[in-house]
Amino acid sequence: MSEEKIGVYICHCGTNIAKVVDVEDVAEWAGNQPNVEVSREYKFMCSSLGQDLIEEDIKEKGLTRIVVSSCSPHMHEKTFRTACERGGLNPFLVEMANIREHNSWTTDDKVAATQKAKALTNAAIERVVHHQPLEQLPVEINPNTLVVGGGIAGITAALELANGGRHVYLVEREPSIGGHMAQLDKTFPTLDCSACILTPKMVDVGQHPNITLLTWSEVEKVDGFIGNFTVNIRKKARYVNEEHCTGCGICIEKCPFNVVDDIFEAGMGDRKVIYRPFPQAVPKYPVIDKENCVYFQKGKCKACEKFCPTEPNSIEFDQEDEILTVDVGNIILATGFQLFDSTNIPQYGYGRLQNVFTGIEFERMVNASGPTDGKIVLRDKKTAPKSVAIIHCVGSRDENYHKYCSKICCMYSLKFAHLVHERIPDAEVYNCYIDMRTPGKGYEEFYNRLLEEGTHFIRGKVAEVTNAARKPEEEGKLIVQVEDTLIGRQRRVPVDMVILSPAMEAQPDSKEISQLFKMGCDFDGFFTERHPKLDPVATMTDGILIAGACQGPKDVPDSVAQGAAAAARVAGLINLGTVMMEPVRASIHQEECSGCRICNNMCPYNAIVFHADRKVSEVITALCQGCGTCVAACPSGIISGAHFTNDQLFSQIEGILWDVRPEKELVSA
Amino acid sequence: MKKFAYFPGCSLEKLALSYNNSSVETSRMLGVELQELEDWNCCGATTYFHVDQLLAYTLVARNLAMAEKEGLDLVAPCSACYKNAYFTNKYIKEDADLAEHINYALEEDDLQFQGKINVHHVIEIFVNEIGVEEVAAKVTNPLEGLRVAPYYGCQIVRPKHNGMESENPQFFEALVSAMGAEAVDFPERLRCCGGSLIMTSRHAALDMVRTLLQSAVNCGTDVIATACPLCQVNLECYQLQVNDEFGTNFKLPVLYFTQLLGLAMGLPPKKIGIGSELVSVAPFFKKYLSKQVS
Amino acid sequence: MATKPTFSQEISNLLYASHGKPLKNCIHCGTCSGSCPVANFMDQTPRRLIGMINADLKEDVLDCNTYWFCASCYQCNVRCPAQIDIADVMYAVKRYSIWHKTYKDDLVGPTFSETFVKTIIRSGRSYEPLLAPTYMFSMGIKEVLQEAHMATQMMLKGRMPVLPTKIKRLDNFKNMIRRIIPMGGAK
Repeated sequence: MSEEKIGVYICHCGTNIAKVVDVEDVAEWAGNQPNVEVSREYKFMCSSLGQDLIEEDIKEKGLTRIVVSSCSPHMHEKTFRTACERGGLNPFLVEMANIREHNSWTTDDKVAATQKAKALTNAAIERVVHHQPLEQLPVEINPNTLVVGGGIAGITAALELANGGRHVYLVEREPSIGGHMAQLDKTFPTLDCSACILTPKMVDVGQHPNITLLTWSEVEKVDGFIGNFTVNIRKKARYVNEEHCTGCGICIEKCPFNVVDDIFEAGMGDRKVIYRPFPQAVPKYPVIDKENCVYFQKGKCKACEKFCPTEPNSIEFDQEDEILTVDVGNIILATGFQLFDSTNIPQYGYGRLQNVFTGIEFERMVNASGPTDGKIVLRDKKTAPKSVAIIHCVGSRDENYHKYCSKICCMYSLKFAHLVHERIPDAEVYNCYIDMRTPGKGYEEFYNRLLEEGTHFIRGKVAEVTNAARKPEEEGKLIVQVEDTLIGRQRRVPVDMVILSPAMEAQPDSKEISQLFKMGCDFDGFFTERHPKLDPVATMTDGILIAGACQGPKDVPDSVAQGAAAAARVAGLINLGTVMMEPVRASIHQEECSGCRICNNMCPYNAIVFHADRKVSEVITALCQGCGTCVAACPSGIISGAHFTNDQLFSQIEGILWDVRPEKELVSA
Repeated sequence: MKKFAYFPGCSLEKLALSYNNSSVETSRMLGVELQELEDWNCCGATTYFHVDQLLAYTLVARNLAMAEKEGLDLVAPCSACYKNAYFTNKYIKEDADLAEHINYALEEDDLQFQGKINVHHVIEIFVNEIGVEEVAAKVTNPLEGLRVAPYYGCQIVRPKHNGMESENPQFFEALVSAMGAEAVDFPERLRCCGGSLIMTSRHAALDMVRTLLQSAVNCGTDVIATACPLCQVNLECYQLQVNDEFGTNFKLPVLYFTQLLGLAMGLPPKKIGIGSELVSVAPFFKKYLSKQVS
Repeated sequence: MATKPTFSQEISNLLYASHGKPLKNCIHCGTCSGSCPVANFMDQTPRRLIGMINADLKEDVLDCNTYWFCASCYQCNVRCPAQIDIADVMYAVKRYSIWHKTYKDDLVGPTFSETFVKTIIRSGRSYEPLLAPTYMFSMGIKEVLQEAHMATQMMLKGRMPVLPTKIKRLDNFKNMIRRIIPMGGAK
């Protein structure tokens, strides 16, 4: 029998708990347990009145420990800890028993649920006796931030922070920032020229004193924790010296070799072997494509070096990758998306039938600075199509490929329809869709505009695209076979060109990236947010945030919003200056330490040091994250984890087994 | 000699006798023995499923059980028989309840099915078991310069849901190339011929046949190669009726792929049933023989 | 208290052994009808049939000829984004209409199927000539003559089965069937 005075509170949670658990019975039973001074049941413990109950009881009855049997600690641990504090108790002297998510929400069996509620409450009662007051540790936050990904979301986040006076490292895998938005021609629904609205931001980033721009770079290693991350970044060799290069572009002009540009031009156009992805690239420094460079492969050419006008020469064939190490307080991932590969759906003919294009190929085609100077033409690069079919939902909303809706395809399909009308005024345009999804601001009006422009809308998912003509009017055309569901008839629509609207997918290496940053991603590869409704930019790992299409399919306005939200969250943390670390951490009983040093290498945070003079190990409190690895590893069992001591855990277990323990241990009712 | 339990199916007795003979002969020449299953019964095609599902599976299971008794995998030349056998086999393996019901009935014929064998289509034997290279090696009279349209039909590739395999299979083209012929890029190669609809919904089926024939003709086909007796009968025997119905003038030869293979391997035409067609194969033969001479 | 199942529930029950997702998952995209080679010959497209089933329009469904035109090509199955086994639905409604003996008068399919099945029960093998009467009567004179002409030609080429065949262990076979369904008076 200890001298602690425990207050036990059983919550009804309205009917959530009370419908299944006999809360009065549990409260009464708890009141008879050892060390329990007062036991109550109440409708809503998390309400102000409920919290007041705790506060008042602490003050009036001199309670020293609190047990609240209610919902999951995820919900209200903070609420009850704060209530304790207000009552004058250390917040770590409260223990919650989850009799909702772990009990009343899992069964309809009232008898079993009440019995389990008693067990869980008893476990908390027996454990809380062994709780010790603990203090949270403040840790300083490094005011620098790392933003991974230079698309519109990453650019927004970087600018928000930089304009607020904070330093940002922006890492981008490609030679230039801009992401997929740089590939577009016009953006829906305003039909703004994409480059016109994006490039000023890109220039801002390039010139900003607070942004260190690292393009053609990738993150290789991430160590540390919130406020204190150490990141290794590989700056790949451009083979161009950034200090001397003036960006004149003569090397690009003089390079004698062309290759198909699979990335920026989506295979629709060429680039040189030494190249800038597009004219407005930031930074302006070109990059040499080592795998296709004749000098690197065969030792000849060197035309770029010969013609480079700078003194000293900016071309450096012997340049090596650089590894940079940066210290940051927070990391924002804005790594973007890729498009679904339409060759996976052979019945649409992509790759087999010539004039079937994917959305991104069409984007490059209509782009004024693209491979066809903005003219809509067939693969022969000459003929303008007289009829175009646009197929929605390629790879989306399909159990065979991706179950989700990609959110943007209806809108960009409408945009394509508009562009065809604009550039080829007499063309017949057919949009084949399952549902028309236009929820954003101005989006439904955009759909209306397309109706007025004379687009033919066929409500039906296209079954196949074929070149097997059956009638004279189908000869030489691509035939789109679809059920026009609104009239209930199968139609064969002969067209010159077919455009597929593929699904938005996560990047192919998103699983590896999420492991690198120690956070999670879902089965589709999109990064997992902390809460789908209330916390879309944070992750379960403190200090790592996400923004943009890497979190889920979305359009530019939403990506910008998320980028800004992530930046605001980070700015708030930096403003505080410190973050309170949970006091759950390990400590070594040095008198009993044998100096075996097994724990030293086990620690993932390098938080254990060995004192060679005294031959004992010690945990550096500030670095310890309370993972518990050393506690489990120590062969002498002399490392204890605060708030998870052996005494606490064993009494919790004994508490649960109250009704199967030997008679003498049970307390008389 | 690799042995398989051969399930000919009702059509191969008379209607598609040439398919039967040519399959057995050509596979024997390539080291595979197709041993006819003793006392096999009709698989029920699609019609049995119109009446009762469990009974339909049971009928098919009897044949599977007999093959299992011999310890041999089952091979079927007819796509409908193949589809029924393949899926009955699959479902019995997956569903213990179904297996119990079926084995209860099979007891009456002293049979039980444990799900230990696999089911193949005759074309799979050539493509997978024997292999396209082996086939090519044994071709003595390649069908050079002959344009053959490989017609898969439906039930070889569907409802097996193998993604690319179901929507863009290439194995039949590979086999045709192995025979030395030119595999025509036949866009309607996976489209249904109508099957039994030719009797129950005649006009619809004739229209489907016409679409296929027209497409093959548009591609400059010399002969259509099929792998199912229903497809062959629909495409060939009913060609005259298609002409009557739609005023077309089709005279396109349709042969079983095993007959073409037999020719390529030097078998005498009579032995592989050439000559039993309603649509004369004379134009195809003329071209074939002229290539042989040169 | 037991309640009578709705029509859509009845059809869903028939699909209990199906390997696809339930009928109510249909998003009415129209891929099935777009792929169907016979869609334009049907009263209602396959997708519409599923819609009608889901809406419990029993009489309208039984009045359609949609499912009797299904050739079991399975193109719809392979492409359906909701992974519904549509060919199975067609089979199920066929069975339902045969059991309830409710189908359009001019349809050949039901009689054809029943005759086919009876032939198999009687002998273990099918026999095409027996099937001829089931569809000959639905055709006009011209078509009958065409069929007869074709049949004669095939007989001359040795491709027409002359006599019906029987399996050897026919009695066991019939007992086997009886273990699944009592055959009543069928011998």
